[in-house]
Amino acid sequence: ENSPSPLPERAIYGFALFLGSWFGFMLYLIWAYVPETWLFSLGLTYWPQKYWAVALPVYLLVAIGIGYILLFGINMMSTAPLNSTDTVTDNYAKKQQQKKFQEEAIPALRDIPISEVNRMFFLPEK
Amino acid sequence: MEERWYRSASGARIALRRRQHSASCRELAVRCPRLRLRSLSATTSAAWLAAYGLFVLTENSMVLSAAIIITLVGLIVYLHFVKIDQESLLVIGSLGIQVTSSYASGKESTTFIEMSQVKDVVINEAIHMQKVIYYLCILLQDPGDPQGLSEVVPLFQSSKPRLDCLIEVYKSCQEILEQRKTVPQSS
Repeated sequence: ENSPSPLPERAIYGFALFLGSWFGFMLYLIWAYVPETWLFSLGLTYWPQKYWAVALPVYLLVAIGIGYILLFGINMMSTAPLNSTDTVTDNYAKKQQQKKFQEEAIPALRDIPISEVNRMFFLPEK
Repeated sequence: MEERWYRSASGARIALRRRQHSASCRELAVRCPRLRLRSLSATTSAAWLAAYGLFVLTENSMVLSAAIIITLVGLIVYLHFVKIDQESLLVIGSLGIQVTSSYASGKESTTFIEMSQVKDVVINEAIHMQKVIYYLCILLQDPGDPQGLSEVVPLFQSSKPRLDCLIEVYKSCQEILEQRKTVPQSS
């Protein structure tokens, strides 16, 4: 089953990912810093333009910054407006079945309609 | 006729006025704070200073006339379409509920809801602009399903009274709505 404990396979995956990420980083540094003429003399002529070595990180950081604002905006848009019935009820509450009331037992869990809740809170019983 | 002072959700002082016209007819009016002279003059001065700054930069005198016209038109539009002076609720037991908003320019817009369509008047709480607010709303009956609810009509949208004021309005409305159950409706 699924347990988070360390396993030999997981150790191997971890080390492979570690080596892979170091290799990727070294490759990125070489691509960004080694002059083009040196790369051509080695025979590597078809690598992407060095422009992208700066452009891609900038794109990524701007996307993360916009993502914060976008997430905030999406949350605000998904909030139900004050005049929607979603603030009061939903499909599960409309279709719920009433369990029979048993003496001396804790009443079953149910969605209490808002009129009843209001009467209990705001109209003091004499 | 009774008038009491409360606070709105944003902290401004609002007045609730209750009138009992008869045993089954009540009028509840919430009066919002008036447009203050100092905020109006602050906004106008800021707009005109910005326009003067633009004029000094661009040497185009149209900027000044445009600023004056925009300020005047903006003020008129604000008073006629945005600034609400008073929101009132007239509950007539056997007939219905009338909701009136009067704007600062004198315009009044009313909505009438028949009593057979009204399921209940409740205080609901919902998320509104990074806050959770209490607001009074009328629940409209679904014609097909007696337990169902077809629409929610929020009341007092621009004055946004706090819970103490809403409880008073709620109790007044419930006293009249309860009479519906005891007195049989004549269709």
